[in-house]
Amino acid sequence: MAAAGLFWAHWLAFVYVPMEGTMRAAQRIFYFHLPSAWLCYVGFLLCAGASLLYLLKQQSRHDALALAAAEVGLAFGVIVLTTGPLWARAAWGVWWRWEPRLTTMAVLFLIFACYWLIRSFGGDSAPVRKFGAALAVLGAPNIFFVHVAVTRWRGDHPNNIQLEPSMRVALYSTLLVFMVVFGLLVRLRYRVHLEERAAAALSRRLSRLGA
Amino acid sequence: MSAPRAARFGRAVWVILRKDLKVEARSKETLATLALFGAVLAFVFAFGFVGDPAVNLQVTPGALWAGLLFVGSLGVGRTFAREQEDDAFTALTLSPAPRAALLAAKALVNFGLTAGAMALLTPLLALLLHVDLTPHALPLAALLALGAAGFALVGTPLAVLAVGARLPEVLLPMVTFPLVTPVLICGVRGCAAQLGTSVDDDVWAWAQMLLAFDLAAGVGAFLLFDSMVSE
Repeated sequence: MAAAGLFWAHWLAFVYVPMEGTMRAAQRIFYFHLPSAWLCYVGFLLCAGASLLYLLKQQSRHDALALAAAEVGLAFGVIVLTTGPLWARAAWGVWWRWEPRLTTMAVLFLIFACYWLIRSFGGDSAPVRKFGAALAVLGAPNIFFVHVAVTRWRGDHPNNIQLEPSMRVALYSTLLVFMVVFGLLVRLRYRVHLEERAAAALSRRLSRLGA
Repeated sequence: MSAPRAARFGRAVWVILRKDLKVEARSKETLATLALFGAVLAFVFAFGFVGDPAVNLQVTPGALWAGLLFVGSLGVGRTFAREQEDDAFTALTLSPAPRAALLAAKALVNFGLTAGAMALLTPLLALLLHVDLTPHALPLAALLALGAAGFALVGTPLAVLAVGARLPEVLLPMVTFPLVTPVLICGVRGCAAQLGTSVDDDVWAWAQMLLAFDLAAGVGAFLLFDSMVSE
């Protein structure tokens, strides 16, 4: 169903919505860019929240959820950071601007990329999990400061855009489809991490029994 | 915190701080490394950026804060590398000293080392880039001190955790960098405002932002530190 939804979203974005006046075809990227950006933020927030829970309660499943959310958030972040510059090149003439939302997104992406790197290459011990959790918990509110600082510095990202009804249909449909995909992916990764941990615990028990 | 507890806390901070300062005073290892590293950086900046006086003044804030970033991330890693020998870190966490005292002492050491290295690096940069920073000495020192404090408050708890988790040492600077981005933006913009190379000339607003970041980072670090460190 999610796969069908993705086809539907592509059809809406590329065929159904009318051509926009000034930006022409480049505007169509927006139907993927905006939902991905929102879900990327949701993923990182979920990761920070689950990490805080993990630090407070020390339960493995919170950590597994945090890791799953960060992974899926990063995947959506890659979509945002590729579609964004493509649009910017057409709209602003440059690939990148040091503008609050772009900078915030880039720094946030970096923080969670580091999180993912540590979790992937640091091994899977409790201190590494805690390090990751601390990074997520300290990193998420940090974004507020980045945003305030860059806003003072400069700003011109499109805000509060007025949309045609058909465009709104396309936007909210893609958002809905992306949300379903996001939920499925997080659930999938969460289960994989839980299974992995169960398997690791079992093999530890087995090797103890054998010894 | 009651008076005796506060006194005990203060004493614990002092003991750890004095130990680290004594080790540093005897070996001079970290400060010498940082100062030399800073000098190398200053040469690279000079090779890359020296142009006419207006250009030099324009690149000075960037050079200063890039220096702080490198020196700071190097120093933060060093203070804990020492504790890894003979597993001294475990002894520290097992000692009756409150964890927060450990964090406070280590953050102070890191702050001192970074600030000390910057005190050497700043005049050297001014010399090599031919800019006269003496009229701006106090505001620049204040901005750099606030920046060094932010760096120490973010980097120190992460360094403690990295030692506990036995993470490779290269990971630490990489993790610290995105977290101190606000410090770098505010610092560079604040310095540029002070030197008059940007349209914006409100240095105080940038200093306030740095101060707010330091406070938030400090509160966050101390609130979460206990649950972060595992025995």
